[in-house]
Amino acid sequence: MAASGYSSRGTLIGMALASRPAQRAFLGSGQLGFGACGIPRREAYEWGVRSTRKPEPPPLDRVYEIPGLEPITYAGKMHFVPGLARPVFPPWDRGWKHPRYHRSPPIHEQPLYKEEPCYIFHQRCRLLEGVKQALWLTKTKLIEGLPEKVSSLVDEQQNHIENQDERVLNIISHARLWHSMEDIPKRETYCPIIVDSLLQLCKSQILKYPSVARRICAKNHSLSAAWTRESVLLQVRGTSGIRLSAKDPLPPIASREEVEATRNHVLETFYPISPTIDLQECHVYDLKDDTGFQEGYPYPYPHTLYLMETADLQPHRFHPEQLRAKMILFAFGSALAQARLLYGDSKVLEQPIVVQSVGTDGRVFQFLVLQLNTTDLASNEGIKNLVWVDSDQLLYRHFWCRPVIKKKVVVNLITAPGMLLWSVGHHFVLQRQPCHPTHHPTLDLPAFIPAAPPQLPVLFSEAFWPIPALPCVREPVGPVDFQPETFRKFLALYLHGCPEP
Amino acid sequence: MAAARCWKLVSRGRGLSLHTAAEAASTATESTSTDVATTPVARYPPIVASLTAKSKAARLRRVERWQATVHAAQSVDEKLRILTKMQFMKYMVYPQTFALNADRWYQGFTKTVYLSGLPSPPVEPEAPLDLGALRDAACDSLLQEHFYLRRRRRAPLREEPETVVSPFLDQLVVALMGLLSPQNPVLASASVDFKRPVHFYWLRGEEIIPGGHRKYDKPNNQIRIPKQLPEFVPLDYSVPVEIPVMKCKPDKLPLFKRQYENSIFIGSKTADPCCYGHTQFHLLPDKLKREKLLKQNRADQIEVVFRANAIASLFAWTGAQAMYQGFWSEADVTRPFVSQGVITDGKYFSFFCYQLNTLALTAQADQNNPRKNVCWGTQSKPLYETIEGNNVKGFNDDVLLQMVHFLLNKPREDRPQVLES
Repeated sequence: MAASGYSSRGTLIGMALASRPAQRAFLGSGQLGFGACGIPRREAYEWGVRSTRKPEPPPLDRVYEIPGLEPITYAGKMHFVPGLARPVFPPWDRGWKHPRYHRSPPIHEQPLYKEEPCYIFHQRCRLLEGVKQALWLTKTKLIEGLPEKVSSLVDEQQNHIENQDERVLNIISHARLWHSMEDIPKRETYCPIIVDSLLQLCKSQILKYPSVARRICAKNHSLSAAWTRESVLLQVRGTSGIRLSAKDPLPPIASREEVEATRNHVLETFYPISPTIDLQECHVYDLKDDTGFQEGYPYPYPHTLYLMETADLQPHRFHPEQLRAKMILFAFGSALAQARLLYGDSKVLEQPIVVQSVGTDGRVFQFLVLQLNTTDLASNEGIKNLVWVDSDQLLYRHFWCRPVIKKKVVVNLITAPGMLLWSVGHHFVLQRQPCHPTHHPTLDLPAFIPAAPPQLPVLFSEAFWPIPALPCVREPVGPVDFQPETFRKFLALYLHGCPEP
Repeated sequence: MAAARCWKLVSRGRGLSLHTAAEAASTATESTSTDVATTPVARYPPIVASLTAKSKAARLRRVERWQATVHAAQSVDEKLRILTKMQFMKYMVYPQTFALNADRWYQGFTKTVYLSGLPSPPVEPEAPLDLGALRDAACDSLLQEHFYLRRRRRAPLREEPETVVSPFLDQLVVALMGLLSPQNPVLASASVDFKRPVHFYWLRGEEIIPGGHRKYDKPNNQIRIPKQLPEFVPLDYSVPVEIPVMKCKPDKLPLFKRQYENSIFIGSKTADPCCYGHTQFHLLPDKLKREKLLKQNRADQIEVVFRANAIASLFAWTGAQAMYQGFWSEADVTRPFVSQGVITDGKYFSFFCYQLNTLALTAQADQNNPRKNVCWGTQSKPLYETIEGNNVKGFNDDVLLQMVHFLLNKPREDRPQVLES
């Protein structure tokens, strides 16, 4: 992939994204190929379909290759003359900047070009090694499961909202079925609605926890943080999801001793894979730390980042491992930008900064709490940061938008003397049974009433005639296997940091 | 032989079974022969218009039969399906329109009376409001979107409503709901929709200019609650104000006809428990900006834009809510449906209350219908004067207070004190 530019305004120049599905998802439907839009893309002229390719410019005359010769062209004559050379004109300069016809200068001439490459993690980067790679890049130690402070909030009964389960079930049904006129709403609509509604529900705890009012949500913020790991420049840039900011910082979770104990931890490497795989390599970049908000913002401390995977098609969505890696990196980026703002660079933090993150695709939730202990990330030794991850929490297993109706037909046919073919629905059982011929009570015909087959119960004693089916609803409309624990964790992460009522 | 002849004729002509034909023939012969007074019970089936003829009577009979199926429908979904399944060419009514004097036209279409000024609030808020906290929340939302948030691409000015004002409105609604939910517990169980479409389909018109209308609307936010808001005025309240009657066809507005799916939707399906509306928030698009209207020398249309939007949107929302409860034009509402609306373009806010008293707007149902729908509204007032850097200059507390009063409106069961006193 050719190197591409990344200017200080954050606009991406050139298209050198790592993977095709990410590229398609990133570009959207505007670049679907010439059939969709009617006009071939600019690139089609360079490499594309032969019928649409621009004709090659004619080669320069031989006279230009001979040094010292002055070619005589027909430029002054203003029309083609057979014997003279074809003139070569300088490229036309409009004289002023037209926003629609801007051609970027080549990468080497861009003002922010640097020799040393920088590896940028943006919101569509899918790391090959997933969480392991994210931990190496951020010099972090992983702890499975949520920390004590948050788990205690999960179990506390007084934190629960009244009719909590019923309201969460209503939220799921609203998001998955009721909010749109379509029969089966798409993930692009229902995933943000679930997250917004759950946040709304958590916010209703303002009665018990008044400090919930000291928080605000923001979308479309753009984060940027840069650091060095073992002489490799890394950056996190992007805008993703909802950021819940608070007026008060989250208290540190791990004690000093635990932080000191991380000195002995060794980061896991995955040789021969380079730790910068799947990151975008740029030579045109600007190293800066930007929280996404101006100075003086009344809610300066990032509390939680909510990342959503809303693509409809499964290959376009992140795998849970990749989503967790993205959550770690973005939480780390916010924490780092905040730390640099408050404390400057390259030291062990007296007050560790804690940032949480929740990632979801509308059904499966990943929870994460990251504690930034140090901004000294260049070497592999020393104090590491800590992250607690609770992965793959289902809110519900499946959601039926339409009821599943199965018609059961009990049909009993005599195939051969002494053989019976039973069928209930789609299951067939051939049975050899001694049958006692008797007389059918009403219809004056002989009937065979066998003993029941081993698997199927005898439903009807007059088992000779096919009996018409009664449709029975096997699965009603609604969520299947709802897990209330997941929402309790969501609420606990939301309420983390509020002082006790 | 005469009797036998009669019998054969009767059986062939009517196609009745042997027994009833014989009976009819015998009674006929008896009555003609004995000259007795008329029998007390009608022996013949009622004489009605044909079902399939090309006549007005036949059409009326078909319409009645269709209305009977709607009356007989068991569930609301079935009723809505029967009412909306036939597609005809219908006028598309857009609440946010550039048409001149659209509010008078929409009043005619929806049989609404417009009263300026809001109805008096039924009850004063019990606890004193913390105006400072509310003002801070509003200012924070305003400044976050306008100043503090650094976005990746600076949006061009014409897209400012979607990129800047819409998130500000979302934030404002959520923040105010959070702060006011201790005083108004219904807000805690309310459901907030962000940009969900609202659809409504109704018939209004005389025989000469029949027209169905269909409205398609996407409010920026709407709050739906599980219980109904109390009425502002009684159901049969008669307002002396006249509804403007437009003498031209709706095409002159301009309104254009399309034929496609009819639908009735309040923002969520019938199965949702939050089926009553509380407040809608509408954002005016860039092409209906004040500056544009002033430049086009149409300063008087500024308020018209707000009013037209309010009347159309709130009528459709309350109408759809009423239809979700099973009412329709032949089964008129037995209780008024009330909703509130806030229309804004980011800086100027105007407030509207709407009470739906009648859904019977078809020519047939409107003949003896004295009820009218009522819409109260205010002029548009600015929320602030300017935003300079991280300062909001000239913040107007009245506008914020009005919004707070709107959000504090509660259903009747939550107000036991009022009933006792």
